[in-house]
Formats: sequence, C-alpha cells, structure tokens
Amino acid sequence: MKTNPIILAGIIFGVLTGSAMTAEPSRGKAVYESNCIACHGTGVAGAPKVGDSGRWSVRIKSGMAALYASAIKGKSAMPPKGGNPALSDDDIRATVDYMVAQSGAGKPSPAASTAKPAAAKGAAPVEKAEISRPDPVGAAVTTAAPLVPPAMAASEVNRFNRLLMPVGRRHPPPAEDGIHDPSNDATHVLQPPLDAYTGFPPGPAGNGVDWVKTLEQGKIKPRYDRKDPNAAPVVMDLNIVREVKGSMPDVVYPHKQHTEWLDCSNCHPAIFIPQKGANQISMAQILLGQKCGVCHGKVAFPVSECRLCHSKKKPMGVAQTGKN
Amino acid sequence: MFVRRKAITKAGKLGVVLLAALGLVMDPPVAQAEYGDVVINNYSDAAGMRPVIFPHWFHRVRFRCKVCHADLGFKFKAGGNEINMVKIIDGEYCGACHNGEIAWSVENCNLCHSAKPGTPTQVHESTTQRLVSPSAPAKQ
Repeated sequence: MKTNPIILAGIIFGVLTGSAMTAEPSRGKAVYESNCIACHGTGVAGAPKVGDSGRWSVRIKSGMAALYASAIKGKSAMPPKGGNPALSDDDIRATVDYMVAQSGAGKPSPAASTAKPAAAKGAAPVEKAEISRPDPVGAAVTTAAPLVPPAMAASEVNRFNRLLMPVGRRHPPPAEDGIHDPSNDATHVLQPPLDAYTGFPPGPAGNGVDWVKTLEQGKIKPRYDRKDPNAAPVVMDLNIVREVKGSMPDVVYPHKQHTEWLDCSNCHPAIFIPQKGANQISMAQILLGQKCGVCHGKVAFPVSECRLCHSKKKPMGVAQTGKN
Repeated sequence: MFVRRKAITKAGKLGVVLLAALGLVMDPPVAQAEYGDVVINNYSDAAGMRPVIFPHWFHRVRFRCKVCHADLGFKFKAGGNEINMVKIIDGEYCGACHNGEIAWSVENCNLCHSAKPGTPTQVHESTTQRLVSPSAPAKQ
C-alpha cells in the first residue's frame, strides 16, 4: 500500500502558475455528477473523494492551475478530462472548482493555502448528500463501513484483473458459507444452494448456473406476477448492437433474454435512455456498478464472461508495425 | 563451508515458516456465500439483531426480477431501500410476500436475520464490493 503508484503519482503534482478561471458553479456540479462521481464520489482507483479534505488539501496546496492541468491532461489512473473528451477545458475547470469547494476548502489564493481541519468536518455531510442523492443505482457504498481506504492493495488489483475468478467455488450450505451465523438455529433450516441447483445447466461464473438456459429449458418456472402463477412475461425480441473500440468484438444486447426476467421500467429510462447512441457505456462504469453493472457483477453473470456480451465478430485491423 | 551452508538452510527454513505464518495471517478464509447474496445491515446491528441475508439465487428460482424490482419497488442497491419491520408488516417490500400467504410470515425472524453480527451491508462477491469498498470484503 505504501508504494501504491496511484497515490504516489496523485501526490506528486507539478506546480504550475496561472490564475483560476471563473466558471459557473452549477455547470461544475452537473459535470461532476454525470462524469466524475463514479470515481471521485467513491474513492475508487485512488481518486481523492470529494469531501475528503485531507487528501484534497494536499492537492490544493499545489495550486488550482496544477489541479486544472491534471484534470485536463489526465493523472495516473484518471484519463484526460476524466475520459470524456466532449467536455471543454472550461467545463473541467468549473468541475474542479466545484469539487474543491465541496471538499472542505475554498479556492486558495495563488500564494499559499492550508485546509483547516474545522472546515473538513463541516464538509463531510455535504459529501454524503452529494453521493446519495443523484444516482440510486450507483456504486454500492456500504453504510456499515463508510471509512474505506481510497485504493486497494496491489495484490488485490492483480487478483481483480484475473477476471474476478473466485477461489475454489463450492456452494457450501448456509452454515458454512462465511456470512451466515452458524450459531443461529434457523441458519440450518435454510435451503443449501446445491439442493436447488440439481439439474440446472451449469454456467462458468456467478452461481455456477446458466440462469438463461435454466429458464429456457423450463427447469424453473419463476412467477412473473407475485400472486398469479400463470402471468406470462412481455418478451421483446430485439437485438441492439453496440460498436466498441479496437479489436474487441462488438456487443450484442438481446432484449429477449432480459425481458424474460425484467420489466422495461427496470432499465428505461433511469439506467438506459431508450434511444440509439444516447447512452455512454464503459467497462469502468460497469465495474463500478453502473449501467450494465447494476446487475452484471452483482447478480446477473459477472464481467469475467467478456464474450457473452462481446459476441459480434468484426474484421481485424492490420498491424502497423513489425512487418519488416 | 559446511557449517555455513547449514546455517543458510536453517535461515531458509525459518523464512519459510515465517512466510507461511504471514500467509495465514494475511489470507484468512474467504467467505463462500452465493454470488448475489445481499447482506443488509442498515439497522440490525444497532438493534441487537443479526443482519439480514437476502439470497438472490433462492428468489430468482421462484420469481422473475421484475416482481420485486418493478412491482414492489426494490431499488437495485443493497441497503438502499431502507426496509424496516414496520414497512414489512404493512405489506411493503419483503412483506408483500412474507405474509403467511405467498411465503412464510414475519414471525420467523431468524430465517432472514441470519448473518454473523457485524457483517457489513454488501452484495456478496460483487465487483463493487471488491472495487469500491475493498475494506468490506467477503473475509470473515
């Protein structure tokens, strides 16, 4: 943790000169809530959390010009303009101003500034309100453990990058699964998962069950209505193809398999605007529990199953180098 | 020469033992609950009850996602629905089915309140659990 390069790089800011641009505060808030909150609201990948005056004060000391430059050009894990090139430099400055203002310290004078601890305490509730309000389906910040470290250990990153494969899956009964309390009598009454999964088509990840096939083959008959066992789902058979960058196969999104389980209102319009091209989706968002990640990576098959979504072949590009 | 090599071997052995011990300390057994098991600990610990475990797998065998997440209004967020017993006995959220008619009734407290005390709110084995709140992993 000590040598985490993300934190290290974040701390080493080049001090630049220049006066701060004046910008509209509401614009900064809007940009923050639609772009930056995914990382800066949660502190993921070493991003300083908005409201964490301790980590922000270090950055503010380097001067606003340095902060603007980092946000515009990118810094360690953060891509230029936070990964949204459509934003103007003024947008970015307004957003940085907003994030600084929310983090317990006003914009410092170019000469010198220090964040006061008293201001830090005042800022904490503001930060909470900012995170919890705009995005009900956003990243799951647990209420029981609000003080999470800003970045994970290097070993965790590597484990994560190995496609999230869990160690030694075996679906133990509740009393042995590590989260149920074996000293609770009722724990022993609960159905063990393997009892239920008997005869289900196996899947490579998640519960080890291919739930789509299980439903297709009629191994389960989950109700579509709470009370009416005969209610039939309104299935819509429409594939949406999303073209993706580079050599990754394009994504084919099948409405059919989704509407077997879900109602239109589950996804539209809150998570996905029902209009082609209207939704910016990235794997980063998905990993943070947004967009597809609202379910995939929590209960629907996880992101380790790249090719279940990235399933449409496209012509491979010609290598530019190494051909003599 | 011989003595020296022996000393090195001894040191090596000690190192292995130390590493093994360290490994035991650093890597406690990982919880192996089902993918998608939701632990809800909004109020339970404070109320002296075990936190609630909601097994997604068990419910999806019996109901489509839509029933809870569209008809009953469960938000897609662990702990985000602020469910309490008053809402449940009034027929909201879990109480829409756990009323003795569709599923067993609320007097079976410990069937839901079955988590180890102190288990934080989480979606077990989710990407967000690992990425966003790595301090609350599935390690017990």
